[in-house]
Amino acid sequence: MVQNNFKKITVVPNGKDFIDVILSRTQRQTPTVVHKGYAISRLRQFYMRKVKYTQQNFHEKLSTIIDEFPCLDDIQSILWSLISKIAKDYVKLLKYGDLLCRCKSLKVAALGRMCTVIKRIGPSLAYLEQIRQHMARLPSIDPNTRTMLICGYPNVGKSSFMNKITRADVDVQPYAFTTKSLFVGHTDYKYLRYQVIDTPGILDRPFEDRNIIEMCSITVLAHLRAAVLFFLDISGSCGYSISQQAALFHSIKSLFMNKPLIIVCNKTDLQPLDGISEADRKLVMEMKGEAMKTVIGVLLIMSTLTEDGVIAVKNAACERLLNQRVELKMKSKKINDCLNRFCVALPKPRDQKERPACIPQAVLETKAKQAAEKEKRKTEKDLEDENGGAGVYSASLRKNYILSNDEWKEDIMPEILDGHNVYDFIDPDILLRLEELEHEEDLSPEEQEALAEIRKKKSLLIQQHRMKKSTAESRPVVPRKFDTDRKFTTERMGRQLSSLGLDPSLAINRARSKSRGRKRERSVDRRDGDDGDAMDIDDNQASKKLRLRSTSRSRSRSRPPSEVVPGEGLKDSAQKVKTIKLAKKSVLKRNKNARRGEADRVIPTLKPKHLFSGKRSIGKTQRQ
Amino acid sequence: MRLEKCWFCSSTVYPGHGIQFVRNDAKIFHFCRSKCHKNFKMKRNPRKVKWTKAYRRLHGKDMTQDSTFEFERKRNRPERYDRNLAENTLKAIKKIDKIRSDRASDHIKNRLKTGKVQRQKEARKQLELGIHLVKAPLALAQDSSLCLLKIKVNVSQAQTEENQPMEE
Repeated sequence: MVQNNFKKITVVPNGKDFIDVILSRTQRQTPTVVHKGYAISRLRQFYMRKVKYTQQNFHEKLSTIIDEFPCLDDIQSILWSLISKIAKDYVKLLKYGDLLCRCKSLKVAALGRMCTVIKRIGPSLAYLEQIRQHMARLPSIDPNTRTMLICGYPNVGKSSFMNKITRADVDVQPYAFTTKSLFVGHTDYKYLRYQVIDTPGILDRPFEDRNIIEMCSITVLAHLRAAVLFFLDISGSCGYSISQQAALFHSIKSLFMNKPLIIVCNKTDLQPLDGISEADRKLVMEMKGEAMKTVIGVLLIMSTLTEDGVIAVKNAACERLLNQRVELKMKSKKINDCLNRFCVALPKPRDQKERPACIPQAVLETKAKQAAEKEKRKTEKDLEDENGGAGVYSASLRKNYILSNDEWKEDIMPEILDGHNVYDFIDPDILLRLEELEHEEDLSPEEQEALAEIRKKKSLLIQQHRMKKSTAESRPVVPRKFDTDRKFTTERMGRQLSSLGLDPSLAINRARSKSRGRKRERSVDRRDGDDGDAMDIDDNQASKKLRLRSTSRSRSRSRPPSEVVPGEGLKDSAQKVKTIKLAKKSVLKRNKNARRGEADRVIPTLKPKHLFSGKRSIGKTQRQ
Repeated sequence: MRLEKCWFCSSTVYPGHGIQFVRNDAKIFHFCRSKCHKNFKMKRNPRKVKWTKAYRRLHGKDMTQDSTFEFERKRNRPERYDRNLAENTLKAIKKIDKIRSDRASDHIKNRLKTGKVQRQKEARKQLELGIHLVKAPLALAQDSSLCLLKIKVNVSQAQTEENQPMEE
């Protein structure tokens, strides 16, 4: 029997509908067509089937109705027996039916009698339907689960308390009997669901005089095993004095047997508990005493308006109820089975040492630091607020740029230059490529000047070299220290270096400091002649001297060397050539030895060291 | 902000000018002014329209291949900002620009040089042949101060000495 789900009871049809439904089903579900010419057994079977089918249907439907309704056992059997009796009788008669029409009429009669039976119980069906409707509207209360009952005088604050702790939205009004029936809400405590039932107010009257609404509360108090919260209005704003409420309490305290009782003093914001009169206090203490006597009772104060103490009351009630239920369970026989299924495993302590959770110091520190940081850190929003708010301050987006040099953060770079996009030209090695490009181009005027100078100097060097080459045969190879022309002087070096663009002072000083004090070497006099020892490489002087000295230059004054000038005493040009040749040959050896003339037999060093000392690698040193 | 090139005439489109047309295949066409836009809508081929850069490059009127064009290339990868690099780039742009424009004008000059030489030759020839229309040859021979032609003279010492003061 489904007790809770009154809403799920099927609709009870009224008499006429019931009959209609059954008959149409019979017609549909059984074969409909039958002919005269069939075998009689077949005819009989056909009609018997119909009768039986109808009987079965009635039985089914009625039994479902009765099953669903909580308490209609006896009716069930009567009805059932009636209908089955009819069915049985007619089936018996049908067995002996010989004609189609007779069978058919038998069937019709059977069905008709069954229908009349149902018609007779038609009014009871209607009544059942009404009950069903009424019951469907009742709140579904599970009598076995944890339940809390709220009771007391009207207007003490039961419904407002209900609203506070559950999600039920009960009407709260200043007039009495606002709540006319039971209301159920649910609340949670320690992961368990509790039913909270709000009742209409009870007045202090003898049992017989109570009206229907009050009877609701009384009934529920009597039948449900739940924790009871008796509400007391301390301030008296409900319209009833404390003495009246106390009287009520005493009259219904018999209903509070074996139930955890909590006396709740409500509306303490209007009148604190300490402020009530002596008599009233005495009454309240009496009630408390009574409560203590029962299972577990307590007195609590609260105010639903200020929500002061509401949670405490709820927790206390739930706790007490839970404890009571657990106790009961423990005492019952079923507990042994349950206990077998539980096992709480704890590790066996090795010794008395306490081992709490270990958090490394570093973690604690960082946690503390993070917390501090979170408070102290300045966000961008704070910065914005400081500097004038949203419209005034614009955040600097460049603040956190990562650049090689932080000074560049505020740089403005142009995007366009002379009709080009600058970004198209950016290249890390743009300078290199630019250089290459410029190399492809022609030389600039400065470069061309420099080039001209280089070429001039080069040509001079070449000229000098050529001159040296032409007279190389009869020029002596003299080491530099015998500076004949005195051209390797520091002044000359200074002039040359400064023309190159260097500062010669250091070099000059060094040269002078390093040179040994020599006595004046034998200076070779300057000589005129074709052999021209005077080969000075100084720029301007050189060319001038060359021009003056060289006799082979200007064409206007030149004569071919082999031309015989009358008066020389030579026969012809061939002879002259030979003469010149001989003359040169005679001078060659002397010049090569750097001799000034025929009579120059000077030996600069009589005993040069390199010839008079040293060991030999091979041979004797007798004569060196 | 970017300077685009007009699709039709290849001139630069500055911000605030021109029209961008996006075709259904998501190709974008930039136009510098309504002239180019209208030509495009008429389906004209810029390579056949004389005043466009495309035509000039195709027909060898303007310089096509040069190393200076390699410097300007659309880069899709951003570079981290470097002040020195930015400075160098800005300076380099100017130099590259100058070199490119010099080369371009050289290119054009070279192209026009043969024509110039030819015209000069023709001019000289015409002068020779047609002087009789202006001055009678006899008159020219007599009055050397009015000569417009170079007189061919034998090179000898005396005469060259005479000529020198005249030329000066």
